[in-house]
Amino acid sequence: MKQRTRTVLVTLAVLAGLGAAAGGATIAFGLYNVSARAGHLPPTYWALHTTYRNAVDLYSGHPETPAPDLDDPALIELGARHFETACAMCHAVPGRDRTATILGMNPVPPHITEAVGSWSPEELHWILYEGVKMSGMPQWPSQRGDDVWAGVAYLRAIQRGEVTPERQAELTALAENGGPEGAAWCASCHGGVARHVPRLDIFEADYIEAALLAYREGRRESGIMRHAASELSPDQLRALAEWFAEAEVPRDEPGEAPAHDPETLALGERLARAGSDDVPTCTACHGPGPRDLEGLGGEALQGDFPPLAGQDEAYLVTQLRLWRDGVRGGTEAYNLMRVAAQDLEEADIEALAAWYASLEPGRGGTVEAPDDASAPGDHDGPGPNPLRRPADH
Amino acid sequence: MPRETRARPTFLSGPSRLALLSFLLLAACEGRQSALVPGGEDARILGDLFWVMLAGAVVLWFGMNGLFYWATRRSPAAHSQRIANWLVILGGIAFPTVTLSALLVYGLSIMPDLRATGDGPVIRVTGEQWWWRVEYEREDGSTVTTANEIRLPAGVRSTFLLDSKEVIHSFWVPSLGGKMDMFPGRVNEMTLGPERPGIYRGQCAEFCGESHAWMAFEAEVMEPDAFEAWLEAEAAPAVTPASAEAARGAALFLSQGCGACHAVRGTPAVGRVGPDLTHVGSRHSLAAGRLGTSTEDFAKWVANPGAWKPGAEMPAYDHLTGEQIDAIAAYLEGLE
Repeated sequence: MKQRTRTVLVTLAVLAGLGAAAGGATIAFGLYNVSARAGHLPPTYWALHTTYRNAVDLYSGHPETPAPDLDDPALIELGARHFETACAMCHAVPGRDRTATILGMNPVPPHITEAVGSWSPEELHWILYEGVKMSGMPQWPSQRGDDVWAGVAYLRAIQRGEVTPERQAELTALAENGGPEGAAWCASCHGGVARHVPRLDIFEADYIEAALLAYREGRRESGIMRHAASELSPDQLRALAEWFAEAEVPRDEPGEAPAHDPETLALGERLARAGSDDVPTCTACHGPGPRDLEGLGGEALQGDFPPLAGQDEAYLVTQLRLWRDGVRGGTEAYNLMRVAAQDLEEADIEALAAWYASLEPGRGGTVEAPDDASAPGDHDGPGPNPLRRPADH
Repeated sequence: MPRETRARPTFLSGPSRLALLSFLLLAACEGRQSALVPGGEDARILGDLFWVMLAGAVVLWFGMNGLFYWATRRSPAAHSQRIANWLVILGGIAFPTVTLSALLVYGLSIMPDLRATGDGPVIRVTGEQWWWRVEYEREDGSTVTTANEIRLPAGVRSTFLLDSKEVIHSFWVPSLGGKMDMFPGRVNEMTLGPERPGIYRGQCAEFCGESHAWMAFEAEVMEPDAFEAWLEAEAAPAVTPASAEAARGAALFLSQGCGACHAVRGTPAVGRVGPDLTHVGSRHSLAAGRLGTSTEDFAKWVANPGAWKPGAEMPAYDHLTGEQIDAIAAYLEGLE
């Protein structure tokens, strides 16, 4: 008995040694052929793909950010436009084939009409956010999980068979607008998509540029905007910022402007103008309101502080939540806003966004143009936006 | 086996340590934050209580030690049963009953004075992390808001409505009277009757977070006329900046969004998150007793509040240039 045990142990040890040697040799001498052309054996394909499906099944629970209304046409369009620029290079779009180069990948990225399969929204969210190791599928390039839902909404529309080639062309059409390189592409969401994205014409060029650079350098979170800002150079971003601060990009009217009861708007206005013991007044930095004191000389809003009157409601809700949750970064004064928003209740956020969105952007007694330009600050920035006071740079 | 214990080296040897300790203890008796230098009726009553208790305790201490000395050194032999019985009956039952009853009667007798209804101003004080929101409720129903400083008229009892925003604080001006806790969601009422004009110091007396130690305030007792004049001035809107630099500071104060959290009455700054700054330049200290009130103190605070008061909610304005911060400081210092 003793002798047998020893024989078994010695045999196992020798086998383990041989196995380790074989493995080491495979790595050290490059014995395993990584050629995409050589591909995998059928059982290997089966093992990899089955592991992938089961892992998605196991790990995709409930995403931290709850799903919005995935049938929202604006969300679907936003997802479609991001997909077109970030994902279509591998997965193509309905009505278009993958390129020959992509078909040379191993494993071949499935065409999106196959890739959507019958995954649930939560599973799609997990795949888009986490990515898939060793398959070429990247992770979402941001910590934020909420903007992933735009992609999910688009993929759900494909699952339902709604995205015909004609619909796809409509969803991702670009309209030339005479701006610098990339302007048509930017404007397709910022103006084209009716909700969820900010309108840019009420911002200063400096603010837009600071935001774009913050996205590009990873100081502000958003999978969609970090991708977009990384497609362009800082010089191109500056040119776009200047153009968008001046241009009147025609905006699609929001289809169904959410109607708010007067109490919500009144709460929003009260909180924005007067604040509370927990919440600073919004208007002190973001307008609208008189900022020019008799006899004091007025210094207008700094480029760091964006005006909010007339801004998109869904965008405001999202950003205020990000500020409250400590996720949002951005320009150099972002620490001020983090503290300012930390005690906001969900109802406050909705009321504030509703009130600011209901204001006429820049006109109608909101942010008035200054009567005199003799403020102590030097106005050496770009030409003033007609909707805005000149900034003190 | 008994070992000879070696005297451990100490920072100070016995006698000089004792001297230092007594010096420190005595130092606390002086100054503007001492319960033993009463500035008002309540502190005087509490001071009397303290001295009575102290005198009694000294007598008892000597009595007990005298008995101990007598029983162990003078007459160490066993005592008779009769003496032992009387010792227990008199010393163990009769004496404590009489002494404690007398103290109870005395203690209860001073309570009505300490709980007397106020006949002076009504002041609502709210503890925040880590400062004091102070609101004077005037007879016409209006409120005068200030912060981190309380002024009281001498000779009348002021009423305090004590509240707290997020955690438990405790309101205490030792020179003027006892302390009372401040609870979120509950208003505690107390009155104080200051008598001697002067500037006293109050301190939060309940641990309330990392900057608890930096949560103090000044309580200035004034002659009634001076108090009325002060309250009138405090109710007035802020003065306009006197210098060009202060005017630039005022404009920066608004354009940098300071008014989102701070009110400066008479300007668009109406925030309520932080202290009202309408007359901050006339206060005795800045940031709840943390700093003085020079322009440099204001600049130091604005540039980085967390350096002076860890955990303070006010963010650092270190993205401003030194010149900009100096202008804001000049404006605030001039808000008298």
